[in-house]
Amino acid sequence: MLMCRDLAEIASDYIDGELNVQKNLSVKMHLMMCRDCRSFIGNLRASTELMKAHSSGNPDEELMRRIDERVAEALKSRNAHDSNNE
Amino acid sequence: MDTVVNPETEVSLIDELKRGDSSAFKKAVREYSPGMLAVARFYLDHSSAEEIVQDCWVTVIDAIQKFEGRSGLKTWLHRIVANRCKNKLRSSKREVATDFSENLEPELAERFNATGRWDLPPKLRFDESADTLLENGALSDCLDKHLSALPETQRSALMLYEAHQHKSEDVCNILDVSASNLRVLLHRARQKIFLMVETFQETGEC
Ligand SMILES: [Zn+2]
Repeated sequence: MLMCRDLAEIASDYIDGELNVQKNLSVKMHLMMCRDCRSFIGNLRASTELMKAHSSGNPDEELMRRIDERVAEALKSRNAHDSNNE
Repeated sequence: MDTVVNPETEVSLIDELKRGDSSAFKKAVREYSPGMLAVARFYLDHSSAEEIVQDCWVTVIDAIQKFEGRSGLKTWLHRIVANRCKNKLRSSKREVATDFSENLEPELAERFNATGRWDLPPKLRFDESADTLLENGALSDCLDKHLSALPETQRSALMLYEAHQHKSEDVCNILDVSASNLRVLLHRARQKIFLMVETFQETGEC
């Protein structure tokens, strides 16, 4: 019989639909009886959603400002270097 | 993202960049950084991606001299970013090895008793959507911190598979891992995110 620990080991495969029919069924059976594992699967799914939501979005002004600063600095040191060589 | 730079202005922009004109750089940074960041986040977490984009702009100052304009400026910049990301992945892959024989994170494995039942079950009940949870800026920061701390291949597996919805096959190719190892990488990374969110929800601490 599938124990909680076994289920935790294959939880991602279950979420992604990577289990074979038999394994999938035994996970479903376990989940019907085990509240803690239902909670674990739910949490893992939510973490996955969280990752997706977190990863969207555009660069902010702060990043642009940091790039501008670094570019300005690098340009300055390069120009100084060039004029030394001339 | 649509570009507002048309071919003629691109040529003159490139000339200005080659001369090291600082206002041209400012303009280019604004124009091309969003796309570059999108490319970087294909491979890396938020903060590493931002770092790569910054570094790339510094290299562009010299590299632009050799730019012959065979491809568009945007394509050229994106290629620089992608190559950097791949190099970063390659070099760090040697450093951190995931134990592929273990499906469970040690911290989670400890939470089962000898019979294989939960000793310390998950404490969380999720009843909010991911977006609602992320409205809490502190959680978002915490997530970023933990993503940065993940072993590089775990993080990339997560980013490519989860955030960018790549097919497993493609992810295996990019990361050069077997299908079964990809499954382990994903699962280990997800468990870490789960443990992090659990701690955060419980204690408010990251
Ligand atoms: Zn259970």
